[in-house]
Amino acid sequence: MIVRFLPFTYAARNLGRSKARLAMSVGGAMLVALLAMGGTAFVLGMDGALRASGIDRNVVLLGAGSEESAERSEIAAATPGIVVASLRGIAAIDGIPLASPEVNVALTVDARGAGRDEPDAGGLVRGITPTAFLVHPQVRIRAGRTPTAGSDEVMLGRSAARAAGFDDAALARMLDAGTEPPQVRIDGRACRIVGLFDAPGTVMDGEAWMPLTDVLVLTRRETVSAVVLTLAPGATVGQVDAFAQRRIDLELSAIHEPEYYAVQGAFFRPVQVMVAASAGLVALGALLGGLNTMYGAFASRVRELAMLQVLGYGRIAVVASMAQEALIATMAGALAAAALAAAFLDGIAIHFSMGTFALVVDERTVAVGLAAGLITGIAGCMAPAVHCLRMPIPSALKAD
Amino acid sequence: MAAIECRALRKDYRRGDEVIHTLMDVDLSIDAGGFVALMGPSGSGKTTLLNLLAGIDRPTAGSIAVDGTEITRLGRGALAAWRSGTVGYVFQLYNLVPVLTAYENVELPLLLHPLTRAERHRRVSEALELVGLAARHSHLPRQLSGGQEQRVAIARAIVTRPRLLLADEPTGDLDRESAAQVMDLLARLNRELGQTIVMVTHDPATALRALRTVHLEKGSIVDATVRAEAAP
Ligand SMILES: Nc1ncnc2c1ncn2[C@@H]1O[C@H](COP(=O)(O)OP(=O)(O)OP(=O)(O)O)[C@@H](O)[C@H]1O
Ligand SMILES: [Mg+2]
Repeated sequence: MIVRFLPFTYAARNLGRSKARLAMSVGGAMLVALLAMGGTAFVLGMDGALRASGIDRNVVLLGAGSEESAERSEIAAATPGIVVASLRGIAAIDGIPLASPEVNVALTVDARGAGRDEPDAGGLVRGITPTAFLVHPQVRIRAGRTPTAGSDEVMLGRSAARAAGFDDAALARMLDAGTEPPQVRIDGRACRIVGLFDAPGTVMDGEAWMPLTDVLVLTRRETVSAVVLTLAPGATVGQVDAFAQRRIDLELSAIHEPEYYAVQGAFFRPVQVMVAASAGLVALGALLGGLNTMYGAFASRVRELAMLQVLGYGRIAVVASMAQEALIATMAGALAAAALAAAFLDGIAIHFSMGTFALVVDERTVAVGLAAGLITGIAGCMAPAVHCLRMPIPSALKAD
Repeated sequence: MAAIECRALRKDYRRGDEVIHTLMDVDLSIDAGGFVALMGPSGSGKTTLLNLLAGIDRPTAGSIAVDGTEITRLGRGALAAWRSGTVGYVFQLYNLVPVLTAYENVELPLLLHPLTRAERHRRVSEALELVGLAARHSHLPRQLSGGQEQRVAIARAIVTRPRLLLADEPTGDLDRESAAQVMDLLARLNRELGQTIVMVTHDPATALRALRTVHLEKGSIVDATVRAEAAP
């Protein structure tokens, strides 16, 4: 038997019965979709930044026992030299072994020295040597030059510059024009910005890079945090791992760089869960509000829905019309949310202790938002559909 | 053969342990072209009987044959299809869809039939013409008086050319003048088009417009009057 459906105009015009209810349904679905997309954009942004920060050919050597955080890791200052001298399988460019000793510290990066009124931005500062640019090919210098040791100079990642309150494009123009660069205070010490780099989508984009020795002086440290190695062709992570195990005296532990950043991700998993859970909780409130509104809209039409069945419309036709009506409202909300997310959420920089990442609103995020709208709509019409259609028609006809 | 043949019709409702006998062994035959007024005190089972005839409720026992079709044996879907082709139902409270115009309301049952748009248009216009509301086709229910709404509802009920027109207190919510118009209309449909009508009413004067009155009391038919001619 052919199912004959109710006209689309019926569903569409029913939406106009109560402007307040329509606003509640659309608004509720919009909020649900927006929160779902916010949570997704957060998780995707963080994951993407972490993943892109690691390179398959790289191995990170950390102090034994501090694999989960480079900030806590300590390696004796002499160790990088010993590693380069005794470990085979390190790639080289023009005779320079690709082994980058680095120190990662969280310090305040304060732009007030540049005449800005921005509050302090906590930032990740990486102490580097020129080799860092060789082992981190994602990092590209956009303007200026690398900082010179002993001259209180610093180079900022694009996100770090923004976080410190600069207009990164203006900063780049200034550096290109050779204008006296603005200053930042790093851990209270005035430093000249001599360069701007970007490393799109990675945590390094949110870092300030200074000469390794300067950072050691600034933080009164004598140890570095990590040595980042790029493997020569044919060399394996296992070889480096075996080296670290063999040289107990160096107290090292080797970790594949993507793995290293994934571990950082696991470290931030509770943050992601918390963000997702709070978004989910608020979304649940919006969802229940929307569902309640839609329930009310349909429950007040029990008699009319029974009348349609008296005319000969089947339950499938009635449910389909209810679903149409609910989905027009919730999908309109979800689409509005997607537009809002694309316009206002995409690219928002989120700062966390490891650096900065941008919220990602892409087709996956939008798909999640639309799915949220779809689920809200279906959930919104199912409960009243069951309520209305389970009732015998004669009883429903007596409803007021 | 009679248009409607009810035999030993029974309808019980169960409320907890208690069983309410709403209809008890009702036998009723209605000829094609008949016009029956169903009367009786409140709670006597009038609406229940009408709903059984309309195929929107099922009897506890007994049989209902309409034009030879035993509708108690039809499944849910088949019954819905049967209703759409055979029954027109007029409600006390009109039950028009408030967001649809008079025209669209009347068209609604036709959308279940394989008709062209032009054919639908012809039939809807005809039905609205018949109830005297052709000029009001684009009005929404709230822009119509109660009497006009009920006449649109009657147009909706007859637009599919049903064998059976059922009406549950069609004038119950109308003022005297509107009620008279609605009754004139029903009487005319019966007289001129041979429309079979079963109508529930509380009002003895309204019942006189029918050709036959059936009295229900506590679920049983207690009395039936047949008139040679309906009151004008
Ligand atoms: N769904 C139900 N559950 C239980 N009892 C019901 C149900 N529907 C009807 N009844 C009972 O069946 C009896 C007949 O009801 P019905 O609606 O047919 O009466 P009626 O003659 O149409 O009355 P009225 O003139 O007030 O409309 C009543 O006693 C009513 O309480
Ligand atoms: Mg009744």
